Amino acid sequence: MARVQEESSALDRFIDWFIPPELAAQREKRQLARMFLISHLCGPLLGNVVPGAVWFLEGRPTFPMAILAASITAFWVFPFLLKWFGRYNLLCFVSVQNLMFCILWSCYFYGGVTSPTLPWVLTIPLLTFFYIGPSPKLRIMALCQFACNFSIFFLLYRLIPAPPPPISSEVVGLQVLGIVSTLACAGYVTMMALYYRRILDSGAELEAEMRGHLATAAELRRATAEAGRAGAAKAEFVASMSHELRTPLNAVIGYSQMLLEDAEDEQDDQSVADLQKIHKAGKHLLRLVNEVLDLSKIEAGKMELVREETPVAEFLASVVEEQRAEAEAKGIGLRFQPSGDLGNAKWDADRVRQALSGMLDNAVKFTDQGHVILSAERTPGKAPTLVIRITDTGVGIDPQMLPHLFEKFTVAHDTTASKYGDTGLGLALSLALCKLMGGDISVQSTVGEGSCFTVTLPAAPAGARRKARETAPAAPARKRAAA
Amino acid sequence: MTKILLVEDNEMNRDMLTRRLSRHGFEVCCAPDGPSGVRMSEEEMPSVILMDVALGAMDGWEATTLIKARPSTAHIPVIALTAHALASDRKRSVEVGCADFDTKPVDLPRLLSKINACLQAPAA
Repeated sequence: MARVQEESSALDRFIDWFIPPELAAQREKRQLARMFLISHLCGPLLGNVVPGAVWFLEGRPTFPMAILAASITAFWVFPFLLKWFGRYNLLCFVSVQNLMFCILWSCYFYGGVTSPTLPWVLTIPLLTFFYIGPSPKLRIMALCQFACNFSIFFLLYRLIPAPPPPISSEVVGLQVLGIVSTLACAGYVTMMALYYRRILDSGAELEAEMRGHLATAAELRRATAEAGRAGAAKAEFVASMSHELRTPLNAVIGYSQMLLEDAEDEQDDQSVADLQKIHKAGKHLLRLVNEVLDLSKIEAGKMELVREETPVAEFLASVVEEQRAEAEAKGIGLRFQPSGDLGNAKWDADRVRQALSGMLDNAVKFTDQGHVILSAERTPGKAPTLVIRITDTGVGIDPQMLPHLFEKFTVAHDTTASKYGDTGLGLALSLALCKLMGGDISVQSTVGEGSCFTVTLPAAPAGARRKARETAPAAPARKRAAA
Repeated sequence: MTKILLVEDNEMNRDMLTRRLSRHGFEVCCAPDGPSGVRMSEEEMPSVILMDVALGAMDGWEATTLIKARPSTAHIPVIALTAHALASDRKRSVEVGCADFDTKPVDLPRLLSKINACLQAPAA
């Protein structure tokens, strides 16, 4: 890709200092102004060589020479006028007028149509058309200005004969003046040409860079579209894959269940134990498949929420009751503690249940003695939120693992994994669901004392008719846990 | 003997449910797709229909709508079976006139209690 070296020399900075902001803002105008400034700042140095040579040849300052030097030096005023007053086009014409005056003045007094200062006439159209840029109207005006000046010059030249040049030795003096003047003029034109070349180059580099940026932008758009397509294809693949996986899994679960029933009837204890393992593993696998499907749906923004008015207290009690059998089997306490009136919430009850069950199931699984409590309160205000806490007196979570808890397939400890089974995608899915519903999950835990998962869920969706997909998170947040 | 019509396109699921329900004293007849399910509902006059909703060309809801639209079979309770316990699926089931709704893989005791509830309820 084209890379422009930002070559901002002292000269450039000096020149740019004179450019008023309204010109600096437009690249085209800024280039013209730079040409204008370089010729006005350097021009008088080279231009004054001519009156200098005249002074030297005449041996004393004369009136025509003084006027010439003054009007050449006056070019130095233009940069300041430009900086203070702007009016670029007007200044161009005044400057061109001054230029023509200088040149025609010196031609008039030093040799007329055979004047050694005649080469400078060439700089008049050169500079004029550099300054005024591509506008046809300004070009016509400039041509008119030339015509007027030259007409007046010839008229005066014919009517009032010029006084003989006061240069001492006429022929030699004019020859010396001619050489000096032509060299100075050539130097001046060279300087302008070099500077112009430089401006063109920087323009070309800028254009190359811009083309580079445009190509990059197009490339980015293409890549983004491709990534989008790939993402959609992946989501589609995962969805159909999950469906295809589910059918054979149903057979595994169903037939093992049937065999289990047979074995129980026949009191074949060994077979019962084996079949229970197959059945359990099948159900575990099915749960994972469903979680993968749900997560990929959320990530693809395709999870639709069906929100209905839900009586919160009643709903949460039923979620807790689902774990009753498991908790009783382990001999731990399981309680639902609502504080105050929880009211109704516009929730997709199935999805809230799914999110909470995952955490509640974990709490029961990782608690061997003590209790698991699900408490809930409603924060008042314009956008009421339900704060649901699942507190257990279980093994707790290693502080190092806390930040990674909601990532996919993270297990607190290898040893915990082997003892309690891994949590797989459960927490990642819980968090993704909560975020989808405008809520969040945080966790506090002390090893050996227990954990507390805090779920916050707005009682109603944020935007009245906002679609669920608009709030779908790209992926579960990584750093979630409170220290 | 109570007759159940099972409309299910997956052969293994059909085989399993047939055998498990037979073991609990039901007479089970099977239809592998929507149109034959609609046809058999009239031919067999079952007491309950178990309807898988994902059936291919004609889905379970469409088949149920047709069964419910026919006066001779409108009274037969239909239990929809889906892979997901989604509120939207449940809502759809109620809309097309299903008496109940259950998820696959089937938890047999739960399904049996739903079938029995349908049998005991006065004809819809």
